Amino acid sequence: MKMWYEKEGRDEDVVLSTKACIVRNVKGYNFPSKMDDKDASSLLKKVDSVIDRNVFSGGMATDIINSGDAVTLMKAQISGRDGSLLFAPDRKAIYYTEDFGLSIAVGNSEHITIKAQAPGHDISIYRPAEKAAVELEKKLDIAYSEKYGFLTSSVKLTGTGLKILYTVAIPAIAKTEGGIAALRQRVGQYEWTIYPFAEQGELNESGVYIIASVSTLGVSEEEILARGEMLIEDVIKAERACREQLATKKKTQMQDLYGRAYGLMRFASLMSRREALDSICWLRLYRDYDDSCEFDCKWKMLNMITQEVCWEQQRRGEINTQTAQKQRAERIKKILKGDD
Amino acid sequence: MRCERCGVELTNKIIKINDVAYCENCARLMGYGKFLRSPEEMLGSAFSPFDEIASTIMQMSDLDFGNSALSCPKCGMTLRDFEKKGRLGCIECYNTFNDYIVKEMFKQQGESTYGGRMPGSTAELPGIEKIDAPAGKKEESVSAEEPKETVQTATEETQAPAPAAEDNAAEKLEKLAKADLGMLSDEDLENGIKLAAANEDYILASKLRDELKGRKAGN
Repeated sequence: MKMWYEKEGRDEDVVLSTKACIVRNVKGYNFPSKMDDKDASSLLKKVDSVIDRNVFSGGMATDIINSGDAVTLMKAQISGRDGSLLFAPDRKAIYYTEDFGLSIAVGNSEHITIKAQAPGHDISIYRPAEKAAVELEKKLDIAYSEKYGFLTSSVKLTGTGLKILYTVAIPAIAKTEGGIAALRQRVGQYEWTIYPFAEQGELNESGVYIIASVSTLGVSEEEILARGEMLIEDVIKAERACREQLATKKKTQMQDLYGRAYGLMRFASLMSRREALDSICWLRLYRDYDDSCEFDCKWKMLNMITQEVCWEQQRRGEINTQTAQKQRAERIKKILKGDD
Repeated sequence: MRCERCGVELTNKIIKINDVAYCENCARLMGYGKFLRSPEEMLGSAFSPFDEIASTIMQMSDLDFGNSALSCPKCGMTLRDFEKKGRLGCIECYNTFNDYIVKEMFKQQGESTYGGRMPGSTAELPGIEKIDAPAGKKEESVSAEEPKETVQTATEETQAPAPAAEDNAAEKLEKLAKADLGMLSDEDLENGIKLAAANEDYILASKLRDELKGRKAGN
């Protein structure tokens, strides 16, 4: 069974993934930050009793850690890049589908967090998240008020409790002067937000950004999704136009950087994270304009490498040791060879 | 650090209101512009009325939610904790801190009313198929249970108007695309946005949306 991110997606030259997150809380329990151990345990049992075991595997976070599935959850972008979903594991549970595309986390910052993920540009991913939410709403006494909608611990989520996130690789916009500022303004017009995949460090310059919905009040799910679709179409068009501009105006330099980047990724034995990220950017920028037919470099491969590098397990101080660099280079080579 | 409201990266000027960081633009949009004036601006005029400064200082006390000792009878969450962490402790907190929560909602989202779906129901999303009811399967199950006549009528009803409806939508979209947007009412624009989005004409939808937004901003 392929993991969700190993599948092909629409507009995958720009959009790495589409995610829908829905949060819900159960009446009768304090929100997680004010919940004692007894209530936390009772909530886990209550939710566990209504989870459809034909669809979901998993369970208590402690069992997941003991079974060694924690790394898989991290790679599948369920438990956070730092594995934060697995902190305080005796108060948490995680359920997931076979391809890890749909997950339900219990006891995180809200009682229940439903997350559906799909590769590329695919807003229909909202549906499985909604379906899981509706089933839980029917089986559990969910905190809801007619005035404010679904009640959450964070006021930023009160209302629909829904966030849509597109992870996009937009190196051409990022390299165009004033590109990100203009995009930020455009995103703001839709009342959405854009932020870099990582605020600091090497990943900050990866050209990978997250475009996310903001409003949960005063808008319906339909409006959130429609705005997202309009916005992402704009982003895709803008990124492709910027790539075209770079590829035609600076063809020789781009071709050179593309070839070098491919050579480095295909044959290097040691690779720092920064080198990997720079190389991915150049490959992404010129991939569609390369007419030499000398490089086998599919979008799926590039996205797999981006995923590998951005979401690789981080251990403090180990990111750029020789062992880490060697392992990284090997994984990238394997993907580019088509062995993965 | 990023602006909690719009997400923009905060580089030069960071404005903190009740421990939440905002960019200058958002702070102004939220109505705190008067507090952002530099001392030169405020005192620039030799006759700058002192009572204006005094009233500004008086109003600044509004920024602190004031009654920080207020606490939730159920979970013990205090208003100060809520201000600090931005999180509530339980459902009862919504009653206890109602006024402050509404203020916070307006600050964060400019809204405090719910517009989403009811629990247990699904959202109406044109263009996105419902998982439980793929068209083909639904028709099969109906034909198995219902008498033939009903099925035929249902099929006629669902199939016959479809091309007409499509034509109608296409016609409407064409008209909208050619229309002078300034002549359309807000309601026309809103309906047009929905129609264009449903028909995946995102360029038209964004044009209409910009027009509507421009009007609202103008008001």
